[in-house]
Amino acid sequence: MAEPEAIRLAQQGDAAAFERLYQLHSRRVYSLCLRMVGNTAEAEDLTQEAFLQLFRKIATFRGESAFSTWLHRLAVNVVLMKLRKKSGKETSLEQVTEGDEEAGTPRRDFGAVDIELTGSIDRVNLQRAVEQLPPGYRSVFVLHDVQGYEHNEIAEIMGCSIGNSKSQLHKARMRLRDLLHEAVRAKAREERRAAGSASGGEV
Amino acid sequence: MNTIGCNEFLNQLGDWMENNRSADARAHVIRCGDCRSLVADLTAIQESAPSLALDDPEPSPRVWLAVRAQLEQEGLIHDGRRAPAPASTGWFDAIFAMIPRPALAAAYLAALIAVGAALVAPGSGYFQRTSSGSARWLSRTENATGPLSAQLNSAEQDTFSSFKTADPTVAASLQKNLAIVDNYIALCEKSVREDPQDEDARDYLYDAYQQKADLLAQMSDRGDIGQ
Amino acid sequence: MRSLATQPGPLQHWKKASVLVPSLLIFGVASASAGDRITQHFRVDPHPVVAIHNPGGTVTVRAWTKSEVMVIAQRATTEVAFDATQTGNRVDILTHALSDNAAPGELRTDLEISVPQDTELQIHDDAGGVNVSNVLGDMNVETITAGVDLEDAAGYLAVKTVDGSFQCVRCTGRIEVSSISGNFRFIDIHSPYVRAQTSTGNILFNGEFLPNATYRLKNYSGVIEVRFSPGDSFALDAHSLKGQVHNEARLDPPSHHHFLPRLGNALFGSMNAGRASVELSSFDGTINILKRD
Repeated sequence: MAEPEAIRLAQQGDAAAFERLYQLHSRRVYSLCLRMVGNTAEAEDLTQEAFLQLFRKIATFRGESAFSTWLHRLAVNVVLMKLRKKSGKETSLEQVTEGDEEAGTPRRDFGAVDIELTGSIDRVNLQRAVEQLPPGYRSVFVLHDVQGYEHNEIAEIMGCSIGNSKSQLHKARMRLRDLLHEAVRAKAREERRAAGSASGGEV
Repeated sequence: MNTIGCNEFLNQLGDWMENNRSADARAHVIRCGDCRSLVADLTAIQESAPSLALDDPEPSPRVWLAVRAQLEQEGLIHDGRRAPAPASTGWFDAIFAMIPRPALAAAYLAALIAVGAALVAPGSGYFQRTSSGSARWLSRTENATGPLSAQLNSAEQDTFSSFKTADPTVAASLQKNLAIVDNYIALCEKSVREDPQDEDARDYLYDAYQQKADLLAQMSDRGDIGQ
Repeated sequence: MRSLATQPGPLQHWKKASVLVPSLLIFGVASASAGDRITQHFRVDPHPVVAIHNPGGTVTVRAWTKSEVMVIAQRATTEVAFDATQTGNRVDILTHALSDNAAPGELRTDLEISVPQDTELQIHDDAGGVNVSNVLGDMNVETITAGVDLEDAAGYLAVKTVDGSFQCVRCTGRIEVSSISGNFRFIDIHSPYVRAQTSTGNILFNGEFLPNATYRLKNYSGVIEVRFSPGDSFALDAHSLKGQVHNEARLDPPSHHHFLPRLGNALFGSMNAGRASVELSSFDGTINILKRD
């Protein structure tokens, strides 16, 4: 069953149509939720809530935007509400820029070995770093770089401007770079410590 | 062509990553190792990102089961079909084995409640395969509700251990209403035991379980605040 | 039998006028006036989203004709932080405690928010009260003890409380409300779908029955009261497992039984060709189907 037909039939309450829409979109929605919250139990919880909201509201879908965009907008809203409730703090989509992003030169840690990340990014480290991003940055990074949405689609999903989406993405990547560099340095420190212990403290 | 410094290049870096690259910026990257390294890092991050989604699994089947059961209950699905009955109780039992501990997971409880309700409803495989005897009905219902009740009780203990809120009236309200729901669960369970074939009594029982799961989830949310 | 309709409403109406401070307002910039009153303005495009998280204190939302969201926050003390930020067409309004040791009264913040009529609202308020009027966008409201009062609202209205009461006056669109011990009142509504479930609360429905509409009212105990006029058209299915059903409507019996006979007290039938579907169910409460005065 093609998507437009499934939407039309789902609006009339057809169970097979609902299931078809779920089959078409559940994986991407779940992936989005999983990248945002980092654990499968919560991601399934949020996926369920997103689809329930979608199916309850499906009669109001008029086709002004792509169905997947509308669905992802619901999913992002569900995730952000959940993150806000959990943290008790603002999970604003807009983050204050940090001083190092405004610095005149790219940030350097003096005394540390210059390591380019190329070739040293593994998925586990990257996922951990993504989970440390503020939710607003995380949303845009996951939608654009992980799931492949364009900025105009992200703007519609997030309710922001295209310029805002680009700006958030850039800040997210810069923050990830810092986090990944810190992970690399931490690993190097661990290895030096382990090497020092193994050799009985001799240099 | 004007030469630009790192400051200016950083201002253009966002555009650079969007493939909007001025001649000045290109010239700077050729000359400046630090900025070249920065670009390489951001490019590596951009190129590695899609790999995060490569192995993302589908959500487990219980998510759709729970969605479907809830939509049927709300009358949004009109064809009257029920969620398919499992081939054996082993499948149902296997769901419990996968429940994460110790935290409450509202989706899992909702899925269990939905599946439990579907299993013992008329039109489900269970109903058609069993005799109409009350003893069999009671047995089937208890098989479905026993683990649910145990899981809810366990979740309640976990929730109370972490529950915290600044407002005593809110805390009192949550606890009072938990007692109300527990009372109704007891009344509904009693009704179901007295007449296991009463569909409405079972319907109310599963609604009461769902209310308890929702309430515990709200209390659990408040337990996370301030941590 | 005393009708729910003659009892006073469970909620107090918040009828404060929104006050504009002229000429001192700069859009998007906070102007903290004397004491603990903060005002902020945000320019928005059509169909904005306004998300409000205010655990302690009232939330009052009114629609106006400007393409702008105005927030006035009245804080009891500075032990509670207030943040309002805008990203694109979304405004997030949040209050949260700065101290774990503050008394609940010190954390109270009352919010008055003016929004465009087509705003989508997401409101979370534990204790205080939520009052929304003339907003036509979708709404999602969650409270614990706070009552929810909607007037002239439309769209998809989803409300969940633990024991906060719910009142909906002259509302349209799809309405779904659930509570454990809150009472519900639906007055003069014009909705094609109402689903209301409370455990110990009472439910009063005194609205129109639209053709092809569905009205599902359910509780465990307490009273469900539905008011009708002689010209109304609905198919009724009323059932109380252990309580009573009282009916004043002249119903035509159903042409066939399509399900197993039920236990308890039940009533089925149609009035005037039964164009709307009305399903009333209670575990051990009382169901009254009464003529309008």
